[in-house]
Amino acid sequence: MDQSRSKLTYSLVIIVGFLTVCPVVMLALGSVSEGLTAFGDFTPDKYIEAYTDPALLDVMVNTVIFVLGSSVLATVLALFLAYLNTRTDIPFKFLFKVLSIIPMMIPHLLFSVSWALLLNPSNGMMNIVLKNAFSLESAPFNIYSLHGMILVEALLDLPIAYLIIAPAMASFDVALEESSRVFGAGTWRTLLRVTLPVLRPAILAAFILGVVRSLASFAVPSVLGMPGRVNVLATHLYEMIALGFATDYGKAAAVGMSVLATSVTLIYVYRALTAESEKYVTIAGRGYRPTMIELGKARIPLFTIVAVLSLFMIVLPVAVLLYTSFVPYTMVPSARAFSLMSLKHWSDVLRDPLSLLALKNSLFLALAGATLGVALSIFVGYAIVKVKTRASGILESLSFLSFSFPGIVIGVGFMWFFVQTPLYATIWALLIGYVATYLPYGVRPMASAFVQVHAHLEESSLVCGASYLTTMRRIIVPLLIPGIVSAWILMATMFVRELTLSVVLSRPGTEVLAVQILRFADDGLWGKLSALGIIMILISTTLVVLATLVGAQFKAVEGGG
Amino acid sequence: MEIRIRGVSKYYFSQGKTIKALDGVDLTIPANQIFTLLGPSGCGKTTLLRCIVGLEAPDTGEISIGDEVVWSKEKNISIPPEKRGLGMVFQTYAIWPHMNVFDNVAYPLQVRNLPKDIIRDKVEKTLRFVRLEGFEKRPATKLSGGQQQRVALARALVAEPKVILFDEPLSNLDAKLREETRKELKAFLGKLQITAVYVTHDRIEALALSDTIAIMRAGQIVEVGSPQKIYFDADHEFVADFIGRANLVKATVRAQDADYTVVDCGMGTIACQRRDFAIGSEVTLCLRPEFIRLVRGEGAAGKNVVNGRIESLVFVGEAYEAEIRVGNELLLAKFDSDVNLSAGDAVSFTLDPAHCLLVSI
Repeated sequence: MDQSRSKLTYSLVIIVGFLTVCPVVMLALGSVSEGLTAFGDFTPDKYIEAYTDPALLDVMVNTVIFVLGSSVLATVLALFLAYLNTRTDIPFKFLFKVLSIIPMMIPHLLFSVSWALLLNPSNGMMNIVLKNAFSLESAPFNIYSLHGMILVEALLDLPIAYLIIAPAMASFDVALEESSRVFGAGTWRTLLRVTLPVLRPAILAAFILGVVRSLASFAVPSVLGMPGRVNVLATHLYEMIALGFATDYGKAAAVGMSVLATSVTLIYVYRALTAESEKYVTIAGRGYRPTMIELGKARIPLFTIVAVLSLFMIVLPVAVLLYTSFVPYTMVPSARAFSLMSLKHWSDVLRDPLSLLALKNSLFLALAGATLGVALSIFVGYAIVKVKTRASGILESLSFLSFSFPGIVIGVGFMWFFVQTPLYATIWALLIGYVATYLPYGVRPMASAFVQVHAHLEESSLVCGASYLTTMRRIIVPLLIPGIVSAWILMATMFVRELTLSVVLSRPGTEVLAVQILRFADDGLWGKLSALGIIMILISTTLVVLATLVGAQFKAVEGGG
Repeated sequence: MEIRIRGVSKYYFSQGKTIKALDGVDLTIPANQIFTLLGPSGCGKTTLLRCIVGLEAPDTGEISIGDEVVWSKEKNISIPPEKRGLGMVFQTYAIWPHMNVFDNVAYPLQVRNLPKDIIRDKVEKTLRFVRLEGFEKRPATKLSGGQQQRVALARALVAEPKVILFDEPLSNLDAKLREETRKELKAFLGKLQITAVYVTHDRIEALALSDTIAIMRAGQIVEVGSPQKIYFDADHEFVADFIGRANLVKATVRAQDADYTVVDCGMGTIACQRRDFAIGSEVTLCLRPEFIRLVRGEGAAGKNVVNGRIESLVFVGEAYEAEIRVGNELLLAKFDSDVNLSAGDAVSFTLDPAHCLLVSI
């Protein structure tokens, strides 16, 4: 048994190693090659060209401001919300759970588009309303700016930051704070001197993850930055490979190398920090109950802030898209607007061959990709958790590596690879790229599911006389079902909305939903865009509901038998 | 069924070092007894149990259960755990959380493909035996620790194995429940004709539960015997020290006569229970605190009379624990809480040679 286990681990190392290392190697080789068709003719020209580009300095400055600004804002907001939820008597606490989960179901692209519809300087709905209400000369807000990008990106990264900080705060041993109070420090001093320092690893981890995500972010810069000519690295790369007369994958690879290096470094810092924060987290003993701070007069104003945030993050984006999909052109909601509503955009989209093709491709990629990804994740999770050899350690690091990959950069790496193969411009290229880039999202839930299955549960079945296969069928798989279902949902919903990798890899014939939506955005076809966007959200939601039902069904059958 | 273990070794490799988890273990576990493997953590007792049940493969040696060889390096025999027909209770109980009580207990019968009505009868009978009747439909995870423990026992017993193995089954229970469950377990096992192999690091548990105890250290069996033999008559200092509180005093053998072995030590010349040691050899004199019976004042000179002074006193409820200074030795003694002695008092005690145990170092 031991031998087959180590064989399994080695073959997984090869598969996962290929999926994660291949695009990186190809990116590196591509950056020193003459061009896509002249792969292997080495030259340093691309680096010289890329890094002496006068536009690069502006792009770098924008990127730093954008990335740091949005990460700081997201972390501060997350800290604020986590503190309110775990430590105060704020009402309607279920809102926090909603705030931390629902926004993940709204694709970043659509979220950015909805803010463009609300706050663009020429006919943003909220701008027009404010202009009329206060008789202003010009639009009060311009979302097509660095500030707008920072705000929207921060709102997008907020749920992740919250999910890192809130558990750390919830498992925080209140005795640490109480002793500070006993020794004479007030609430504020305790917060600054004890609470925040103890939570520092979790806060830093949330911040760094925010940096990695905003560095990789393409949706916000492309929808909100490009119209105002505010370029960051992601859009700078995109311009090199998708716009203009001469696409240059070599130059893109050369710039991409430094983005990738930054990202990989940061994610390993993040990993060290989360290990650190697990060490810091003080699990209190029995009878532990956190002292709730009574907000008193501040209760209602603070709750209002949370409610407005929920409105901004969940209700407004979906409502704006839904509304836009029914009105003939962008207009402020009014009696006239409602009288003009029709299903025209919907029927246009459903008759548009390109949109239908994108729909079909995205559905296929979601179903096949998630199934393939989960199947691979099951084996990887098993090898990481249950087979503890050096090879499984390598496997863990490998499968974690792609967590740091900025989609557009790794897309360029894959481009260099697929051009050399017959897979170029086929749907399979996208499938492989998706599974490789999103593998950690499958491995993580599977690994934690395997951790739940204590070795004794497996062994006691063997001792009871069950064969290895029976044990697999009756004990291990049923216990893993919740993990499998959540991994599948996570991957499928990510694949339905996938944008950053797809803008690089998709070619005529292999368009996907997000690429088609981006195309509508470029052409200003907001109505059609909204209709297709709502369809995208519906598919995600349906997948979640279906997979949950299947999971519940399986449980019921096993429990009855 | 008797279990015979011959020359079993098991090595682990970690960070370039070889760790001998089992080092040439020879052991015969008699049939229909409660046999306990006792030792400090890391002594290899659980590894030995897992080798018997087949969850670990030893590196050398042979294991047979009854007449069947289940593992042999030379003969290249390796029966997998599911074919050995044993019962086992795990430290974590390993109750399957996705099944109810009935399915957990019925599982060993279901995998043997027995007819449904027979399964129902046997499960019912076994659940009644462990006093869990009426719990069939409960989700197994909704039970208390003690009840889960009994489900695990029922599952181990339901297929009527000839051997049942326990891996520290009481260590997850709180102190009071542990004591109750221990008594219950002893009663349950007493009613069955079954060989039980029990692993624990808790000496009270081992003494209270076992017919025979084997003490292990560093992958080797140090001593095997009845609880009384292990407690009063241990051959090794390690065993005497591990099984209960003991004063260990360095001594030199001075003479051997018909009834006693006489030694010199820090307390003077003491006559001890006879043991075959060469004259002049270094040994350890082992005295249990409960056999040092203190009397106020100096004692009349005589055989095995020792004089000392109370250095400190600790009140522990049912008794006082005193440290007695005798020359350079500091001895732990126990006396009833109604005896009126205080620190600084001169005391004496007379040692019964039967309770002066000499063990090899």
